[in-house]
Amino acid sequence: MSTFDFDGHSVNAEPGDTVGSALYRAGQRVFSRSFKYHRPRGLLCAAGRCPNCLVNVNGVPNMPACVTPAREGMVVRHQNAWPSLETDALSAAQHFDFLMPVGWYYKVFRSLKLWHMVEPHIRAVAGLGEPPGVDEIKGEYEHAWWHAEVAVVGGGSSGMAAALEYAGRGASVVLIDDQPSLGGRARYQSSAADLAAVRERVSNEAGVRVLSRSYCFGLFEGNLLGVLQPNPHGAVKERLIHLRAGHVVVAAGAYETPLVFANNDLPGVMLSTAAQRLIRLHGIKPAATAVVVGGGPRAAGVVADLKNAGVRIAGVVEPAAIRSASGGHCVTGVKTDTGSIPCDLLVICGPLVPDAGLLAQAGAKLVWNQAHGAFLPTGLPPNVSAVGSVCGTGLAGTPANRGGASKRSFVCVCSDVTTADLDGAVREGFDHIETLKRYTTTTMGPCQGRMCQLAAVEICAGLTGRSMDATGVTTSRPPNPPVSLGALAGPRHHPIRRTPMHDEHQQLGAVWLDMGDWKRPRYYRAGSGDETACVRAEYQAVRERVGLIDVSTLGKLILQGRDAGKLLDKVYTHRFSDLKPGRVRYAVICDESGVILDDGTIAALAGDRYFISTTTGNLEFVDQWLRWWLAGTGWDAWLTNMTSGFAAVNLAGPKARETLRKITDCDLSSESFPYMGCREAEVAGVRSLLVRIGFVGETGWEIHCPAEEGPKVWQALMKAGAEFDIRPFGIEAQRLLRLEKKHVIVGVDTDALTTPIDAGMTWVARLDKPDFVGRAALTQASQAPPRESLVGFEMQDDTLPDDGAPVVLGGRPVGRVTSARYSPVRQRTIGMAWVPVDHAAEGSAIAIRSGGRLVQALVKQAAFHDPEGGRLRQ
Amino acid sequence: MSFQLRCPQCGPRSVYEFRFGGEVRQRPLPDAAQEEWYRYVHTKKNQAGEQMEWWFHRSGCRQWLQAVRNTISNEVKRTWFPDEDNE
Repeated sequence: MSTFDFDGHSVNAEPGDTVGSALYRAGQRVFSRSFKYHRPRGLLCAAGRCPNCLVNVNGVPNMPACVTPAREGMVVRHQNAWPSLETDALSAAQHFDFLMPVGWYYKVFRSLKLWHMVEPHIRAVAGLGEPPGVDEIKGEYEHAWWHAEVAVVGGGSSGMAAALEYAGRGASVVLIDDQPSLGGRARYQSSAADLAAVRERVSNEAGVRVLSRSYCFGLFEGNLLGVLQPNPHGAVKERLIHLRAGHVVVAAGAYETPLVFANNDLPGVMLSTAAQRLIRLHGIKPAATAVVVGGGPRAAGVVADLKNAGVRIAGVVEPAAIRSASGGHCVTGVKTDTGSIPCDLLVICGPLVPDAGLLAQAGAKLVWNQAHGAFLPTGLPPNVSAVGSVCGTGLAGTPANRGGASKRSFVCVCSDVTTADLDGAVREGFDHIETLKRYTTTTMGPCQGRMCQLAAVEICAGLTGRSMDATGVTTSRPPNPPVSLGALAGPRHHPIRRTPMHDEHQQLGAVWLDMGDWKRPRYYRAGSGDETACVRAEYQAVRERVGLIDVSTLGKLILQGRDAGKLLDKVYTHRFSDLKPGRVRYAVICDESGVILDDGTIAALAGDRYFISTTTGNLEFVDQWLRWWLAGTGWDAWLTNMTSGFAAVNLAGPKARETLRKITDCDLSSESFPYMGCREAEVAGVRSLLVRIGFVGETGWEIHCPAEEGPKVWQALMKAGAEFDIRPFGIEAQRLLRLEKKHVIVGVDTDALTTPIDAGMTWVARLDKPDFVGRAALTQASQAPPRESLVGFEMQDDTLPDDGAPVVLGGRPVGRVTSARYSPVRQRTIGMAWVPVDHAAEGSAIAIRSGGRLVQALVKQAAFHDPEGGRLRQ
Repeated sequence: MSFQLRCPQCGPRSVYEFRFGGEVRQRPLPDAAQEEWYRYVHTKKNQAGEQMEWWFHRSGCRQWLQAVRNTISNEVKRTWFPDEDNE
């Protein structure tokens, strides 16, 4: 025996109890308050299908108490009632129901302003549980991917027979059953055939894997089943299984639904299967005196089960004879055509509805069958089949609706929709089952129509004079039944990529910046720790002495083969087949419309071997793009992604050469190793590729070495530069340094429409090449002047506009700022901006809106720092 | 969308392992008329029915393959590597 807490009271639970059965045994009859009128509601289906027993369990809202296993120490709370379930002040709402017909707020709050004022109050009063805070969610969720030759949904007699048959033919079978153990209704109906022997066979069949208490919430394209399995192991709360099955057998059976009559929602009005579950599964005598509504052998079976449990049967009433249930908080009697019968339990033998939602999702049509009184699946797709009562086997129709339009005859218990509401909606013109659904929200609550769909269709058909078939059913969509958001989200894991020098940065006080999955130092905390001061110090080290930045995140690809140069000539705008070994070239990729997709550098290592760098974020794209242009050509070219294999740093500044010289034998003089050259050499004893480029505008080398040697090379460079007061620098200093050189960052200064011609980089597009990707578009673009131009600008004061700040001309936005920083070398704010081409000339005055005012700036054509590039070539 | 594609290298796999690469189309010759380039760059067939298309097995062998897929039913008739014989 275990105990749990319900609203501050301790409740005992027997082995096998659910939260719902334990509460019922302890005398609890009111389990929730209804959505709109706050009417008391009690156990109705006891099978997890209706909304009546939704509670908050350990902080998770909307858990069906009737199927949630009771566990020691659980904390269970009621929902949607104040101050308590027994005395809910908000139940006064039902006396004002005449003010709140279906769709009342559409009609009353026609001013948007008024609606926004009242909406929070309506939301607070109506509805379900409160969502938990992010930190309140305990436990883990996980996803799993399974494959099976056959998946069987449903563990009743038909499901078990199907599983055994397929397993007997040698197929691997997964059997998904939403009950705690196999057997279907035989578990709780004494009239059903005994299945103990079959259960035994299924349990011992090696080819069948049984998932108990697990739900299929959707059947998707390609026979993909969404399966929710609670507590698969250890600390995991729920597992979402993506189950791909060669064949799906739906043996989900049929479930019982309520009858519609006045006060049919009173606690104590219970489906017959719910009463049988309480008796047979939990050993509970559900009441002292019961009236059974039903007829024929089904009612006889229910009466027998109730009598066995010691319940006195005060009467058996034919469904056609029922008028209303009476009682305040709980049922105290029933009124029939012939009189009143007192009772404390009204057992309803309601219509049985095939659980065909999965089949409908798979494409089956649901067609009305008068003999079975049910919509039955037809036109099943290949590789999906259905067996048992989901196909109508054993079903005999009973109409659901037992009265006229009434404000107390509830069709939809989820949203408090009555027969009067449906009647009014149909008369207002919402007479199609789909519009009726949307207008009244019938079938749209937590039960997703399982309790109300058949009754709603029947009432709609009755009111419109159409047949059941012509009225039809609403579309079945997943998830059905409900799925917790945590299970869909899965484990809260996010990949993090660290460069080989991560620990070095950490020790140096790096403040991290997330770039995609990568962690990169934004700047290094030093001295007072103020970001501006730190960035300035890093900047000055590069401009005046020497700085070191980790650029391992750059995409690094090696392309080799006889046709490697041919592929580069085709894909990149520049020519590379003529690039001499030992030389490097700036490289731009455009698409066929001429738009810049990525930039980087390409170093020729040998005549048939190239080292390609890409921007950090575009590696995957460039890799796929090169492979796509290679696919099917038969060219001799092989692409290898070396990004994780190489660490890379950029050493830059006037003292870079003197620093590097100490730890390499490579001749670093500009005569033998000029700007835009590359060499393979040892650095600190590590075989490396040295590339002389200058993104930051100073003499510098990009050094690529095997990833595992990265820290060694980093440490050696820091040590060698110590006498020049070397500084590591981060992304922020790099962005300022490159902006002073007007070096473009693709995706920051360019957008999805920018061509090299717009960006003022006409020189990268070699239109004299016979062919390359984007040549046709760029040829055309080059024949007409662009409308906009990317220019540098200098502010007239030190205002710092945000990225994206508008450039304004005559009161209208005509362009935008892409990057702006305070420039130490110019001692004012500089930046880049898109401006109309007639304002792109040197010295043109432009106005930029920043902080709510217009600030003047002047267009600068040349780079702000070292416009001739002399420092790069030194 | 949850159908499967048969990668010629790796076998049947969930479509989520692949990146869609668009319709297989004939690129114009470099000196083709502007009109022809315009159509190639800016218009697509958007076929309702069977079409030949590119797929990249991103989370698998990282090769581009071609497939005939019915865009209405997502039934994949054939898949092959572009340097293999199509038939």
